[in-house]
Amino acid sequence: MGSWSAVAPAVTAAFLASIVEAVEAFTIVLAAATLRGWRPAALGTTAGLALLAAIVLLLGPLLDRVPIHLLQLAIGILLPLFGLGWLRKASLRAAGIIPLHDEDAIFASEAADLAEQANRQRRSLGWAAGITALKAVLLEGVEVVFIVIAVGAGPASGRSLPARWCSLPELSSTGRCRASRRILSNLASASCCRLSECFGPGKGWASPGPGRTWHYSCSPRCSLVRV
Amino acid sequence: MAMLKEVAAELIGMFFAEKRLTLEVLALVAVTGLLVDFVGLDALVGGVILLFGSLGLLIASVCQAARPRPS
Repeated sequence: MGSWSAVAPAVTAAFLASIVEAVEAFTIVLAAATLRGWRPAALGTTAGLALLAAIVLLLGPLLDRVPIHLLQLAIGILLPLFGLGWLRKASLRAAGIIPLHDEDAIFASEAADLAEQANRQRRSLGWAAGITALKAVLLEGVEVVFIVIAVGAGPASGRSLPARWCSLPELSSTGRCRASRRILSNLASASCCRLSECFGPGKGWASPGPGRTWHYSCSPRCSLVRV
Repeated sequence: MAMLKEVAAELIGMFFAEKRLTLEVLALVAVTGLLVDFVGLDALVGGVILLFGSLGLLIASVCQAARPRPS
């Protein structure tokens, strides 16, 4: 493993991306819990986390069977696509072209959807709340898994795991202040996409793909991140 | 099954949200790869093309999205 200064961009990108996804999942779980109480929401969240753990444990070892050059090429292409998409949205939000990511609006929308779902499918609201929490945790969790694999796999393997663990305390603090939650979410998205955009092509994920080695050190890419 | 479809749609949306930008970036990567592999362009120059090309495509995409649509 390299020094911390070499892996800091990967750790930071994984950390910020995990925060964003955790805030999104928490908003939906909060909507489910507010409507029907914490028990069905907690059960759905636990089931979602258990499913995620099963997916990672079962499919994780399969990554070893994929030829490394193909994996590097695929991740090298996907990472800038991911970063550019987020950076585009962040730029449009900063310019005021599209509205800022508003967790309050998402909360209200999820709560309304939940009530409508319960009426339409004639299921109890508790069941609908549990399934909604499960889907939210599963969806956001799978996104985090992809992000951590893409950003953390390679010479810095293992260093992105502490970044994910660090995002767990954020879950408890995001509920406290609405304004700071919105600012944090939008700032984290913008920072993460800038890092992943630099990290994708700069780390040379695509270059080693067709059988080449990347001869250059991390320092030019770190200076790009500071820009 | 519906949940699996939702998860798949969400994952695809994560990487391929903006169709035009996605196609342009894929074309840029393909052209750079061809230049590096077959024309013999230096890998560092290829990396610079990828980086500044991606940023250029991003700026073009943002400017296009910011343009007022004809009513």
